[in-house]
Amino acid sequence: MTATTAATEAAVTTTAMLSLDGIGKSFGPVRALDAVTLTVRTGSVHCILGENGAGKSTLCNAVYGTVSPDSGRMVLAGADYRPRNPADALRAGVAMVHQHFSLVPTLSVADNLLLGRDGFRPPRDALAKDLDRIADSYGLRVDPRATVGALTVGARQRVEIVKALLRDPRLILLDEPTAVLDPAEIDALIETCAALAADGKSVVLITHKLGEVARAADEATVLRAGTVVGGGRLADTPLSSLLELMLGDKEPIDPASRPRRVREPDDAEPVLRVRGLDVTRADGSAALRQVELNVGRGEIVGIAGVEGNGQSELTSVLSGALAAGAGTVTLDGVDLTTATPAQRTAAGLAVIPEDRHTEGMIAELSIAENLAMPRLRRYRRWGLLDRTAMRADAAAAIAEYSIRAPGPDAPIGSLSGGNQQKVVLARELSTEGLRAVVAAQPTRGLDAGAVAFVLDRLRAAADEGAAVLITSSEIDELLAVCDRIVVAYRGALLGSVPAESPTAATDIGLLMTGVPA
Amino acid sequence: MNVAMLTEILTSGVAFAIPLLLAAGGESVSERAGVLNLSMEGMMLTGAFAGVFASVTTGSAVLGAAAGVLAGLIFGLAQALLSVRLRADQIVVGVAANALALGLTTFGARVLLDGGKGQGVPAFADIRIPVLSELPVVGPAIFGQTALGYVCLAVIAALAVVFSRRTMPGIRIDAVGEDAVSAGWTGLAVNRIRVLGVLIASAAGGLAGAQLALSEVRSFSENMTAGMGYLAVVAVIAGRWKITGILWAALFFGVARALQFALPAVGVHIPYAVLVMLPYLIAIVAVSGFVGSRNAPSCLTVPYVGRV
Amino acid sequence: MTTLHIRHPLAVALLALAASALTGLALAAAAGADPATVVDALVEGTLGSPFAVGTSLNNAALLMLVAAGFTVAYRAGLVNVGGEGQICLGGIAATAVGVSLPDDLPLPIGLTLTLLAAVLAGAGWAAVAAWLKIRRGTSEIITTLLLNFVGLALVVLMVQEPSLLRQPMTSSETLPQSERLADSAHLPLLGLPRNPATIAVVLAVLAVLAVGIVLRHSTVGLRLRSVGLSATAAARFGVPVDRTAFLGLAAAGGFSGLAGGLLVASTPFVLAEGFSSGFGFSGLVVGLLARGSMTAVIGVSVLFGFLVSGGINLQLAAGVPASTVTVVQSVLIILIAGAAWWTSTAKPANRSARADHQLAGDEAGDEGLDSGAVVRKPADDETEEVRA
Repeated sequence: MTATTAATEAAVTTTAMLSLDGIGKSFGPVRALDAVTLTVRTGSVHCILGENGAGKSTLCNAVYGTVSPDSGRMVLAGADYRPRNPADALRAGVAMVHQHFSLVPTLSVADNLLLGRDGFRPPRDALAKDLDRIADSYGLRVDPRATVGALTVGARQRVEIVKALLRDPRLILLDEPTAVLDPAEIDALIETCAALAADGKSVVLITHKLGEVARAADEATVLRAGTVVGGGRLADTPLSSLLELMLGDKEPIDPASRPRRVREPDDAEPVLRVRGLDVTRADGSAALRQVELNVGRGEIVGIAGVEGNGQSELTSVLSGALAAGAGTVTLDGVDLTTATPAQRTAAGLAVIPEDRHTEGMIAELSIAENLAMPRLRRYRRWGLLDRTAMRADAAAAIAEYSIRAPGPDAPIGSLSGGNQQKVVLARELSTEGLRAVVAAQPTRGLDAGAVAFVLDRLRAAADEGAAVLITSSEIDELLAVCDRIVVAYRGALLGSVPAESPTAATDIGLLMTGVPA
Repeated sequence: MNVAMLTEILTSGVAFAIPLLLAAGGESVSERAGVLNLSMEGMMLTGAFAGVFASVTTGSAVLGAAAGVLAGLIFGLAQALLSVRLRADQIVVGVAANALALGLTTFGARVLLDGGKGQGVPAFADIRIPVLSELPVVGPAIFGQTALGYVCLAVIAALAVVFSRRTMPGIRIDAVGEDAVSAGWTGLAVNRIRVLGVLIASAAGGLAGAQLALSEVRSFSENMTAGMGYLAVVAVIAGRWKITGILWAALFFGVARALQFALPAVGVHIPYAVLVMLPYLIAIVAVSGFVGSRNAPSCLTVPYVGRV
Repeated sequence: MTTLHIRHPLAVALLALAASALTGLALAAAAGADPATVVDALVEGTLGSPFAVGTSLNNAALLMLVAAGFTVAYRAGLVNVGGEGQICLGGIAATAVGVSLPDDLPLPIGLTLTLLAAVLAGAGWAAVAAWLKIRRGTSEIITTLLLNFVGLALVVLMVQEPSLLRQPMTSSETLPQSERLADSAHLPLLGLPRNPATIAVVLAVLAVLAVGIVLRHSTVGLRLRSVGLSATAAARFGVPVDRTAFLGLAAAGGFSGLAGGLLVASTPFVLAEGFSSGFGFSGLVVGLLARGSMTAVIGVSVLFGFLVSGGINLQLAAGVPASTVTVVQSVLIILIAGAAWWTSTAKPANRSARADHQLAGDEAGDEGLDSGAVVRKPADDETEEVRA
């Protein structure tokens, strides 16, 4: 459903709300934005589309004033627009809903909403009236007395949106808003965007998900590597062309292009067993409900699904970062439910964590140190670290995994995302007595070459007998490498779709909407 | 223990508590906004010295008090520059600033104030409010302050009202101290608010020092604050960054101090050292959350980096 | 801000030194002494006699120990502000043991027992704060700071109560201090002619070197560092995070405690109120300024140690108030601390992960990494890697 009607089809008469002309921004050696030129019309929903790393967030920040462009010009409603900070942007009528939220957790919803106001006495009555107005106009309801820290992610985002709306903005920026929402919440959000546009506001939606663009947008602009590569009105532009623009010359992984593994069905006991797993979130909602899962020796099982349906919690329980409320996890008969990370590694469990930066590596340490950390004992010589041996092992790993790095002593933070992930893989897949691998979103944020490499390595690990579990939001990647795929939906694992089935993609898609296969 | 003794203890306790509470009140505003001023000791000492010096030079105690506040503000400007703008380590700066203030005031007293004797300093006289100051026990303690003392009480009340959690200023500083990044996204001028917090703390500290020097001791001596500034920081912790808690903490610390002289006279032999320890032990218990739960502002001592 | 191209920490330090020296001379002039007299008095007080040199070195040794301990804890992401209190506890324990030893016990045994008690007491005192941090999440900055004052008061308690450590009161004028420590607990001198330098100097240098080696070249050091940089990742790597952090802070306390024991085991071999003389705070400052470099720890400790001696003589010989030196020292510290943002921008990961991540990390995390571009966040450890 789009907000534009036939009468306003004539693009010439629809006024421009925001115009960007030649915007550029560098962060040191990285050119994040280059000569970006685009126009956002009044009363429309405009999607800015691009893969991870294309520059979408920087663009958003430039419009909101947290980052100042090195070059170019911005025009808002006909006037020169040069915000020095968010306060300027807010005054000019530009509001932003952030990816990571800008709410102070210890304050109440009302206090957070009042935060930007001037004056001495908090205008609580006026706030109540405004909240009612917003609830009536857009269907967005929030509880002013709740403490933000206790709200669910979806509720927090609603508060963020209300916070933006209270400023009565002309232009609203939403940075990857659906990343943390479940399907029902995504629907509600798309409706809200439409309502806002119908009300004459401009909505800019930053996303990398084509499906959302199709449902929500009137117009789209595609960013790739910091520049605008194309776009247009959704009515005139087919989605496939947008996809091509996004990927450029990268080939999307074609399931048919990879030779399918032949794996004999194994009647032996599954290596990795999860039974009756329950996990409750801080706000009381259930992240996992009585989850059961088996992965056999040499089997690759994929968990598909929109993020936020419990996959993260499942992999966190398996890695030991999160404690389950109930249930068991066993690996080859060894109960790992409450085991420490060291015990899990000793039992042969390797984990490629979802958040590489905080859990998978220590950016300031060198590649050699990151590789050696779980088994420092091996490098102890007369009580001191045998750095020569560490370096040698690291050099070997660098060669084997084709890691592009200055050397084993380079800090891992200086490598690109793909190469960092390779180091994580190198470390995890060389666990002694490797029995199982849990890979949480292992290809997120990587370019096509790195993606293929990671998937190949996981397959190789399975070929050598490890049980492999992969969670991913990219269905085609899962289809390319897994033996079977289950779908995470609202805390449960649904179905078990064999990858070689001709209707696999459709079946998975259905399951993702909650329809049991 | 008779009424006279109780009165004596309370009077002495309140006298100690007023500058302490004033300094702690100002410091709590700064800390809630995220900046720790371990240099409160130095702020108070500077205020005391400036107060006495100005008073002796001009002959007016009022001008002396004003000088104390001004000196505190100047100190605060330098402190804010270091802690907020230059993002220097707040602990180092705090400890060093205290040493600097001690050194400079000692030096100043030696050179400018006749060896720090400070005899004949124009000071404030006690003003006993009729009727109220005749109340048993409480009367002389609370209603027998000097003019400056009443000013201090007024400032304390003002701070409590203006920065309570129910006002916009109160909400703002809490946001800035708890989650500076989010506050910045929302459009708050985080560093400007923090600088204001430091200035409030330093002005309050300067005034507290002036009160100590011009209303109570009525002279300046080397290191006359003797740890009261640190105690103010402790009172903020013990009161868990809430003005009512800080009020009770300051009163308690004052009374404990007074007791050390009174108790032996009554025959109760609690070593003076134990009474000295008490405030700090209470603060540790308070901040560890054994009783109730409220933590330090999350961004306390963490500098805020504005735009990229 | 002007665009000076001087960014190297050493250059900044020298500039700060010059500025603070000028301040000192200005103050001295205000007190009526001309620069020549001042310099003479300073030199005489610092290097002029073996006595001065020895005293300075002894002071430096204590600072080194506190600063080295501070660095160990800082690596694990914990800030130990409690050096003063830990010195006090160390002194108390050393006194308690030292006065109970027989005089004829061989010196190595007596001294070892005394100092060992000091180390354990200091470590125990820090352990209180460490336990609170791990169990209740209480900021160790606050708890160690508060424990300082408790420790100082404990010393007063010990030396005022005859039932505790106070020397037997023969009259009402008996000073509130402990008995003299047994001969077997006296710290031996280095034996240099007319020089009061004790083996504390040797001990301290050895300790600093040991810390340097352990931090950079041992598994313990790497584990400590990992905990300080990213506790989450370290946990995933199998490092016992809580235990490591706890031991790091306790170790810092042990070093300070040792300093306390050494103080008590030197002339006049008694425990008295205020014996810690601010060494805990000064050592803390040394630790913070040295930024993890053991060379800097030694250098700054020596500088401060000599400054104190010089200051005392300044008063005696030139009639300039000793507080001048305190001023100079403070100005120096403030200038260096204020210039810190110039030379480095990072802080221990433990403390502000969210802030860093949101502003810098988001940009770096999302933009351009896949094209192989290099995006770096300068880290504290980088500058020290070059210097240590």
